[in-house]
Amino acid sequence: MKGNRQTVLRLAAYAIFCIAILIVPLFTDDAYLLNKFARYIVFGILSLALSLSWGYAGILNLGQAVSFGLGSYCMAMALKLRTIPIQTGATGLPDFMVWNNVDTLPWFWEPFRSYTFAIFAGVTVPVVVAYLIAWFVFRARVNGVYVAIITLAMLVVINLLIIDQQKYTGGFNGITDLTTLNLFGIAFDAYSAALYYLAAITLSLFLFLGLALISSKTGLILQAIRDDETRVWYFGYDVAAYQTFIFCVSAGIAGFAGMLYTLVMEFASPTFLSVPISLSIVIWCAVGGRASLVGAALGAIVVTGVQGSLSETQAFLDTWMLIMGALFIIVVLFLPNGLVGLVDLVTGKRRRHLASITAAASTAARQHAAPTRHDLVS
Amino acid sequence: MVDQAFLKLENIAVEFGGFRAVDGLNLEVAKGELRCLIGPNGAGKTTALDVICGKVKPKAGLITLKGRDITRLPDYKIARRGVGRKFQVPSFFRELSVRDNLEVAYCKQLSVFANVARFRRSAESDGLEKLAELVGLEDFLDEMAGYLSHGQTQSLEIALLLAQDSDLILMDEPTAGMTTQETMHTAKILNALRGRHTLIVVEHDMAFVREISDIITVMHLGKVLAEGRAAEIQNDPSVKAAYLGSGGISHA
Repeated sequence: MKGNRQTVLRLAAYAIFCIAILIVPLFTDDAYLLNKFARYIVFGILSLALSLSWGYAGILNLGQAVSFGLGSYCMAMALKLRTIPIQTGATGLPDFMVWNNVDTLPWFWEPFRSYTFAIFAGVTVPVVVAYLIAWFVFRARVNGVYVAIITLAMLVVINLLIIDQQKYTGGFNGITDLTTLNLFGIAFDAYSAALYYLAAITLSLFLFLGLALISSKTGLILQAIRDDETRVWYFGYDVAAYQTFIFCVSAGIAGFAGMLYTLVMEFASPTFLSVPISLSIVIWCAVGGRASLVGAALGAIVVTGVQGSLSETQAFLDTWMLIMGALFIIVVLFLPNGLVGLVDLVTGKRRRHLASITAAASTAARQHAAPTRHDLVS
Repeated sequence: MVDQAFLKLENIAVEFGGFRAVDGLNLEVAKGELRCLIGPNGAGKTTALDVICGKVKPKAGLITLKGRDITRLPDYKIARRGVGRKFQVPSFFRELSVRDNLEVAYCKQLSVFANVARFRRSAESDGLEKLAELVGLEDFLDEMAGYLSHGQTQSLEIALLLAQDSDLILMDEPTAGMTTQETMHTAKILNALRGRHTLIVVEHDMAFVREISDIITVMHLGKVLAEGRAAEIQNDPSVKAAYLGSGGISHA
């Protein structure tokens, strides 16, 4: 059956992608490269998260970096509390708190002494924040570009809040000078293969979980909502509940990516939940193909990879931004479905179009031959 | 419950910025009936359907379905009580296959979390294929719905309503853009539906209306102008006047 073949091909594509990212450490043990690749992989997870809400449910979340940043801060707080303080004396307070004349650890920092809590919070806090936004936005049946504006505004607000609350968040500098995460006897050093594997395995897991989600009936209804939201309400579905659900799932995944990002970068900073990152995610997603999870992830890796190598090459030091801009324009103009659109272009679409023509012809022929066929049916 | 109308609209009034689109509409539809709603442009036919399915909330009046008040329920809860709607503008899911369109419409289980654990191509798919056959779309099941011709999309929408399997089906111009052959086939489908479903059909094509209707309700200026069988309606002088648009009819 045609449907089955497509499913198999898709699964194969996902599997090849996962294997490809998982075997990278076999070819290099350059710590700098591994760190850089781990960073790209984390962006891939982030882009996948946006693809779920934007590509599959039509919710353009320009505030995706909120979830990413919150996750990142949760991890940074836990690591900071385990850093042996050098200049702060016996109290053991994080350095920036001492500089800001804080005497005791704030209550909401306290539970972050536990890694379990921190990792739990790194997913839950973004989900709760997303739920609150979603509750107001989707219950009121706000859609389209207005969702983008609201989420972007939320991003700016939360970003300012974090910069402003310097005593508790490290303000503009963020939370720096972190210890290495040690879990199950493995040290996830920023430059280790262990951290790269952690990122790559996480991306692979989310890819397949995401695939299961979009193949479920819920995934189908989300795609229907993307196409025609109003029609879905009139089938009796609570569209807002579906939108809230995918918005929160996406936020949880982005939060997880944020935690990994702290490990890769060895700090958390308000730039993680800034407008430039949030908009970059949209670009990655669009370049890779927003209606494909693996495409979105690939888009992030390709774009940040090209960006990285261009900006590090002597010859392109002045022009790399221009080159990137030109690449985006080319993709938007010629590949509206992103890089995965290339695959469709070569295989699926063309065949499908032919199939539709022949099917139409055969129906027409049959109707001519047997005009009473309809009478038989009813 | 025996004598109670299946659907009852009492003194419904709908206003759009001071304009009364529907003004004191009273309508009773019995279970299993196929009611045609006709009337000149701007008579309030579409608004009447909108108000039943909850798209528009009435300024005054009461709507009861199976004896229960649904006037103030949100649209999706009205749908859950068994009201399906086909809009005038084609509305279906262009980027999904015909099969997936039908899957969405087949909505026995509505909650997010129950549906996460359910996968497509389930046991009921067989039934959905039969549905596609009924409306003549069996060759297009795996086709993206956006590629269908206009007449086919009308058929698809009828199939969507059948998959949804509502007790009360509201249709706004189901045959607009169909070929004569398709129109007559649609008439057959609608005729087969009456009894098990209750239908309200807004239509302009009188040949089609004569083919399907028991009782026709004629609306004019937001009210019911006349009600009766096709022959009676056509000889009614007030109906003739309304359609000629001779402005000065006093519809008392």
